[in-house]
Amino acid sequence: MNFTNSPLYKKIFKDAWSYWTGAILLAILNTAMLAISGKGWGVTTTFAYWGAWISKLFGADVSGWDFFQIEANAKALGQSVFTNTGSAQNIGIIAGALLATLLASQFKIKKLKSYKQVIAAALGGLLMGYGARIAFGCNIGAFFSGIASMSLHGWIYAVFIFLGAWIGSKLLVRYFMT
Amino acid sequence: MEDVKKPKRKKKNQVPAGVGLLIVLVVIGIVLAGISPMLSIYWIFGISFGFVLQKARFCFTAAMRDPVLTGSTSLARAVIVALMLATIGFAAIQYSAVSKGLPVPGNIHPAGIFTAIGATMFGVGMVIAGGCASGTLMRVGEGFVQQWIALVFFIIGSMWGAHDYGWWSKVFFSKSPAVFLPDIFGWAPAFFGQLIVLAILFAVAEWYENKKLRSEEE
Amino acid sequence: MAEYRLDCLGEACPVPLIKTQKKMEQLKVGDTLIVEIDHSCAMKNVPEWARKVGHNVEIEEVDDGEWEIYIEKTK
Repeated sequence: MNFTNSPLYKKIFKDAWSYWTGAILLAILNTAMLAISGKGWGVTTTFAYWGAWISKLFGADVSGWDFFQIEANAKALGQSVFTNTGSAQNIGIIAGALLATLLASQFKIKKLKSYKQVIAAALGGLLMGYGARIAFGCNIGAFFSGIASMSLHGWIYAVFIFLGAWIGSKLLVRYFMT
Repeated sequence: MEDVKKPKRKKKNQVPAGVGLLIVLVVIGIVLAGISPMLSIYWIFGISFGFVLQKARFCFTAAMRDPVLTGSTSLARAVIVALMLATIGFAAIQYSAVSKGLPVPGNIHPAGIFTAIGATMFGVGMVIAGGCASGTLMRVGEGFVQQWIALVFFIIGSMWGAHDYGWWSKVFFSKSPAVFLPDIFGWAPAFFGQLIVLAILFAVAEWYENKKLRSEEE
Repeated sequence: MAEYRLDCLGEACPVPLIKTQKKMEQLKVGDTLIVEIDHSCAMKNVPEWARKVGHNVEIEEVDDGEWEIYIEKTK
């Protein structure tokens, strides 16, 4: 195919962009999101909705939990993955990353190498899920959007995410390197 | 350890599959617009975020981890730039909303000891799992099996947190106000102060990396 | 002028970079390390580190989403 040899294709779709390009585009996208929806970019609250819908499939009722008494969360509980905006966004992130990977012809299923990766992923996932609930967001909702919103919680988050990353690095090198 | 080079495999061209996926994504977008316009807007935002994150290899985890682990601050500096630009954009929108008498838009939430605990947990988790929330989603799309497992447990952890939310709320959140910095310092000092702090952090990050590299050479 | 291989396939950041840094310490000047990776972020941060330290770096895409990074130790 001729197109894939063109310099423009190579620059936009094949090669990695610079971190600065990413920074500028993410800042523009996040600002646009605030302008349209009144909320900055966030990712993790939707994960709690997914959990609630899955629980519902197994017959568990979580609507009595305080978290799902909050108006926006109660409303989301009545929605599904097809009608919830956060879900459209998060599945969009997966789809967008897949699209970028395919257009660069770089998709590959990366298999597990060791059981340690399973333990690390499970433990890490649990910590992130719980942590994001009590910190009111993740690196996106609390850190990126929180600081951009000039909210104090974003700055407290920033200080302690570094502490956590430092502890995590020590644990990773000590226990989870294959 | 081996000295022999592996024979080169024949590469497949995945671009047609990518174009096919793009068409599917557009069709889904049109269907979502039929359900509600807001859904398709979030869909487009999501795809854009995922595309940019993947293309730029933009990883918030690496930005916070690499300074301590490898001494590199190139991503940390990019994140600081993103924060500065977003601060300007957010402030413009917030200021115009407030001057119209509307409530302040944005992600403004209670701050307290729980923020510190949650952020520390999150920091440990993202480093050992190899990605935070956005990074995990991005790598799910790239085909990383480890991240598929991380996503499953991320959802379980979120439910665990949602389950305990009532306790945290009763003991902490209800007594901790959400603090919007311009309410305390005034608009101009909060806005310019934040930009100055971020600029200082940028300079420190640059100095730190140079120092680390020099010490590695010795 | 020995050539060594480091298999980092299936490993996520920061593992490939840490392993590369450790391995490079054991190499003699003039030796080459070939790092095999399939993590798109490591494809960026491993060469970035090696160049900053001053080694010679070349990247080859050997398969879809799979790379070999050649790092020649210069000092």
